[in-house]
Amino acid sequence: MADKKLQIALYWGAACGGCDVAVLDTNEFILDVAAVADIRLWPIAADGKYKDIEAMADGELDLAIFNGGVRNSENEHIAHLLRQKSKLLVAFGSCAYMGGIPGLANLTSREKILETAYRRNPSIEWGNRVVPQPETKLNGKELEIPKFYRRVYKLDQVVDVDYYIPGCPPQPDRVRETLLAIVKGELPPKGSVVGAFDHALCEDCPRTKNEKKVKKFYRPWEIKADPDTCLLEQGVLCCGVATRSGCGVRCPTSGIPCRGCYGPPPGVTDQGAKLASAVASIVDSKDPNEIEEILAGLPDFTSFAYRYGVAASLLQRSYRQ
Amino acid sequence: MEEQRIGVYVCQCGTNIAKVVNCEEVVRALSEQPGVVVAKTYKYMCSNPGQEMIIADIQEHGLDRIVVAACSPRMHEPTFRKAIQTAGLNPYFVEMANIREQCSWVHDDPQVATDKARALTFGALHRVAKHEPLERMSVEMCPDVLVIGGGVCGMTAALELADGGNHVYLVEREGTLGGNVARVDLTAPYLDSARDLITALVTRVEEHKRIDVLVHSQVSSLEGFVGNFTATVETIWGDGASVSQFRVGNVVVATGYKEFDASRVVHYGYGKLPNVITSFEFEKMLRAGRIQTKEGKIPQYVAIIHCVGSRSKEFHTYCSRVCCMTALKYAHEVKSAIPNCYVSDVYIDMHAFGKGHEDFYKRGSEAKTLFLMYAKNDHPVIRKAGPGDDCEMLIEVNEKLSGEQIEIPADLVILMVGMEAREDSDAVARLVNISRDKDGWFIESHPKLDPVATTTDGIYIAGVCAAPKDIPDTVAQARAAAGRILAKTIRGSIEIDAVFAEIDEDKCSGCRVCNALCPYSAITYDASKKKSTVISAVCKACGACVAACPSGAIKARHFTDSQIFAQIEGVLT
Ligand SMILES: Cc1cc2nc3c(=O)[nH]c(=O)nc-3n(C[C@H](O)[C@H](O)[C@H](O)COP(=O)(O)OP(=O)(O)OC[C@H]3O[C@@H](n4cnc5c(N)ncnc54)[C@H](O)[C@@H]3O)c2cc1C
Ligand code: SF4
Ligand code: SF4
Ligand code: SF4
Ligand code: SF4
Ligand code: SF4
Repeated sequence: MADKKLQIALYWGAACGGCDVAVLDTNEFILDVAAVADIRLWPIAADGKYKDIEAMADGELDLAIFNGGVRNSENEHIAHLLRQKSKLLVAFGSCAYMGGIPGLANLTSREKILETAYRRNPSIEWGNRVVPQPETKLNGKELEIPKFYRRVYKLDQVVDVDYYIPGCPPQPDRVRETLLAIVKGELPPKGSVVGAFDHALCEDCPRTKNEKKVKKFYRPWEIKADPDTCLLEQGVLCCGVATRSGCGVRCPTSGIPCRGCYGPPPGVTDQGAKLASAVASIVDSKDPNEIEEILAGLPDFTSFAYRYGVAASLLQRSYRQ
Repeated sequence: MEEQRIGVYVCQCGTNIAKVVNCEEVVRALSEQPGVVVAKTYKYMCSNPGQEMIIADIQEHGLDRIVVAACSPRMHEPTFRKAIQTAGLNPYFVEMANIREQCSWVHDDPQVATDKARALTFGALHRVAKHEPLERMSVEMCPDVLVIGGGVCGMTAALELADGGNHVYLVEREGTLGGNVARVDLTAPYLDSARDLITALVTRVEEHKRIDVLVHSQVSSLEGFVGNFTATVETIWGDGASVSQFRVGNVVVATGYKEFDASRVVHYGYGKLPNVITSFEFEKMLRAGRIQTKEGKIPQYVAIIHCVGSRSKEFHTYCSRVCCMTALKYAHEVKSAIPNCYVSDVYIDMHAFGKGHEDFYKRGSEAKTLFLMYAKNDHPVIRKAGPGDDCEMLIEVNEKLSGEQIEIPADLVILMVGMEAREDSDAVARLVNISRDKDGWFIESHPKLDPVATTTDGIYIAGVCAAPKDIPDTVAQARAAAGRILAKTIRGSIEIDAVFAEIDEDKCSGCRVCNALCPYSAITYDASKKKSTVISAVCKACGACVAACPSGAIKARHFTDSQIFAQIEGVLT
């Protein structure tokens, strides 16, 4: 590898841009990478055309970093393209890894999304309430935009993925370590989650843990939580129990509960299901009515427990495409 | 992994299964599956020829996994585990599909039942492929025994165990042994002296070199598991307290009962009318040798009322089982002390089911006692007599047999108070980790087939603490519990099922979600390591912690995610 510069592509699918910023946040490191690598595609930072990628030989790229989920036909097309052209494909960030925040849309329907975005959104002017169609005729010409799918896919539901870097967005230090390892060819077994640890967040969280028995759940702003005691046992839903460590315990050490962005710890198939059973297990009551009341303090639990993982969940709706 | 060689056996259970499920069709479907080397149906798989067929096939075809589609695994899983073990396979390499209780017994439509039987058997097939070999564990069994409660029950159990060679710690809360029987005069139905009975027991217990009696004492904690408990006992002396600790392998709980508080039945005026007394107060009189009213007079009319606090909607619905015979005993004792006294006995039904009880009742009814029957929930009412009456009180009874309202005179009324769980039975249950029923009595492992064991290994219940009973039944249970323990301790060790939950220390984040969850208290937390562990000998593999552990650190042996997912996938194919 020493004689030839590394060939790299970075791409965003259904993403917010945060992941690309996380790469930029590695600061001078990314310049070092640039010194040893040719960045062939990086929509947020550099020019590059799909047709240039299409023209490449299979396997010409050494590394493709894909952030964001797969929401439309364009995302899917590029995912296939990068897979074909790159030796390594990395799912970068929670969206590519698990579907992420955009994946929450899988709880509703395509029709409802389009309705909300293009018809009911109060900021849309009258006369402008047009739902975009995949194909439009304009002045006798056929125009095409990417097809909006019924659901969001995580990257490996669409193409084969070599490595996963979790986080929303991944922590810059982890990104640096991981890219360095890839550059040096110090690669873990294919399919590994990299840039994170092999245990749950609580292990690294400095808050004191006691037996957990909760009589009431609070939204974070409803309670002045003790700064040294586990948030979950104070009734603030913290996902750290069912989340892979790697972020540096960013949230609980800043006084707010973990939202689970690093995904499930190794061996856990479904993060949301685990959170549901963990939360159910610490409810301190045997009386059905009281339990009902305590659980009523958890608004929209599905979106909470699956904030990043709807698309990766065991339970999937059946879609007739 | 090497290709597996699986044998599938579909049982007809006589016609129990075959009359609804088409067993041949299930066999046909299964025999086409990859990995299935043998697929057969047979009339009775659990019979000797059925088991021998499996054993012969294992040897002949080199089978390494077995599926038996038959009845509930609760019924015959041990049978088939043993069979395949005889053939040299690990006993956990068999999986059962329940096509009787879950198919033929609950469906009428043969096609539906057959489809379901096939799906369940597919599930078992996919699952058994993922089974791992498991080994049973053996743990040391400490022969010493803790007996809680020094009544007839506790003393009898202690003597039986100590005579058998085991060391016993007998912990009694009061200052003396004897329990409630020590408050009784003569015992029904043979009218032997309770005092003699108790004295004989207490003397033997106190002199026994293998029994340590701790009076004024209570068990404050019990930790560990069958074979290896550590008990902490607090003893209160006149001016101070001491704490002792010892290791025991098993525990007998014999904490008995307390009497029902008669003042809760307001229309009997207990506590207000001075000559309305309870059975225990009457026993005290008998023991003192003088039956008299509060005013020191010899009563001319004595009335005995049954079922006080028992067999009633308001208080306890159960029968306390000893009051009827005790009432007859009182009638007898009153008559022999005051021959011209009129005794009336006011009852709901006369429960005389025990050995010798019916004869005792017959003798009692010949002794000129007036028997009056009242209806459940239609209590007699007691009021003070007027100045013109020749008695202290008058009792109004709606007599059920004659249908008349009858008024009877009384100078002394004896209320046959029932038995009730002790106030601290909840605390005791928690201490030894057993459950109580709706009335507070401790729950046995099986009400018919396993009466003195509990769902916690090594904890036995005997005597009245499990439900009201008389002395002979109490003694029988005490000896049964002792016998169970002697049989277990004689081997020096016990085998523990290989199916239990395990915590992977590397994965445990120390979040403590699981800590308070285990119904058997099998989970401990190591504060220095910041990790939780399951004591495998205590774990009953209920799965509660496995589902709860949010970091996937707890695995249930024989119920792993991959096994369960494989089973689901099998059912869905
Ligand atoms: C009025 C009356 C008359 C009866 N007459 C007869 C009769 O004639 N014939 C007959 O067969 N049966 C009779 N019985 C029934 C008899 O009383 C019971 O069968 C017998 O007492 C049961 O013995 P036990 O050891 O199970 O319970 P108990 O006698 O209640 O003994 C329990 C012992 O445990 C101790 N204890 C309780 N809790 C603790 C604790 N937490 N720690 C340490 N120690 C504790 C208590 O102090 C007590 O010493 C009569 C019952 C009543 C109510
Ligand atoms: S993982 Fe988070 S930061 Fe990255 S694209 Fe998705 S939402 Fe944005
Ligand atoms: S649940 Fe949250 S607050 Fe509690 S220990 Fe885990 S990460 Fe920390
Ligand atoms: S604490 Fe949780 S939500 Fe916050 S950054 Fe870490 S993993 Fe993400
Ligand atoms: S729930 Fe799991 S991770 Fe948490 S303490 Fe228990 S075993 Fe450890
Ligand atoms: S499986 Fe059940 S019995 Fe075993 S440790 Fe877990 S909660 Fe306790």
